[in-house]
Amino acid sequence: MMRALRAAALSVPLLIVAATALADATQYRLQVNGLACPFCAYGIEKELHEIAGVSAVDTHIKDGAVIVTMQDGATLDESTARKAVKAAGFTLGGFREHEDAE
Amino acid sequence: MRRVGVMVGTVLLAVITGTPSAVRAGAQTFNTALPVGEGNFVLREQLFYRRAGDDPTAADRDTEAWGSVSILGYGVTSDLTLFGALPIAVKSLEATTPSGARVARDTRGIGDARLFARYTVFQDDAPGRTFRIAPFAGVELPTGRDDDRDRLGRLPRPLQLGSGSWDGFGGVVATWQTLAYEIDVQAAYQVNTEANGFEFGDVARLDGSLQYRLWPRQLGPGVPGFLYGTLGANLVYRQENEVAGASDPDSGGTQVFLAPGLQYVTKRWVLEGALELPVAQDLNAYGLEDEVIARVGIRVNF
Repeated sequence: MMRALRAAALSVPLLIVAATALADATQYRLQVNGLACPFCAYGIEKELHEIAGVSAVDTHIKDGAVIVTMQDGATLDESTARKAVKAAGFTLGGFREHEDAE
Repeated sequence: MRRVGVMVGTVLLAVITGTPSAVRAGAQTFNTALPVGEGNFVLREQLFYRRAGDDPTAADRDTEAWGSVSILGYGVTSDLTLFGALPIAVKSLEATTPSGARVARDTRGIGDARLFARYTVFQDDAPGRTFRIAPFAGVELPTGRDDDRDRLGRLPRPLQLGSGSWDGFGGVVATWQTLAYEIDVQAAYQVNTEANGFEFGDVARLDGSLQYRLWPRQLGPGVPGFLYGTLGANLVYRQENEVAGASDPDSGGTQVFLAPGLQYVTKRWVLEGALELPVAQDLNAYGLEDEVIARVGIRVNF
């Protein structure tokens, strides 16, 4: 019983730290024009992952949307995103901070 | 026997060398429809089997070719992609000699490699769709042996794995792709040159490919794998070969193929297969008709 309580007590701070980190992470929503098949998504995700400060990239092919999650305190500017999308062979159609992260 | 080989080889060489096609889901029967992202590689490994026969002459020739074609694409920029293709094949011929004996001849090894590039000159992207036009050009290198021998002597030139010549080719490919389907159309021409007294006829071809998403019917979040039903159509015209400067009347002609198939596409890899079925063949004199061509392959992004 005591062991379970101790484990729970240790978990709480960890959860708080994780939740704080998540709350601080900025997300961006990129509208990628020309994205029309799964094989195309790999190149975009690879290019975006190579940008300093990017921690996660999630593509939603139905909407042509790519959600870029930044590391704590890092930001992404539109011209960098445009360059990465262009290098992958596509066109940046929109760029904005993702509301879910706010 | 020499004439037999010439006719057979024209058919077999075309399978092994194929035609260049670029990295979207991409057509199965040509490779130029594959643009590759900057700094990325795509490796396509395709296994093939081709059988030709239906010989109207007493020689009753049957030919088979099977093997693989490895194609590596590299994106120099998002518009410029370089490709290298290397075939490895086994080619065989069976024929009846004037004395009535049935003889079999075969060879195996690497064929003629191809180096080519495509450059996207027009690109129109919109949400969920793209349209691109890209000319391409390349050269076929004489990397395959063209002097292989068996117990009957030197193999006929077209049964050899290599042409012995440096041959240039070029064309243009257009791609229209949406989330539901993709259409690729390619026109290509290959200029074959003479080597050691033999010259394959030039080849002109018009290739089309339709890919239609069969599954999933409805798209949700993320990037699900797509299962496409595919249908390729290929119109191929070959000029007569030349032997010692004279046209070989038993070579060349026009063929039309339809190629139904399936393709499963994920972010990292593509698994695909198709059967190319001849639907019309107008071959000169005693040219051998294709019976079937089968292709299965895998493509990997890295």
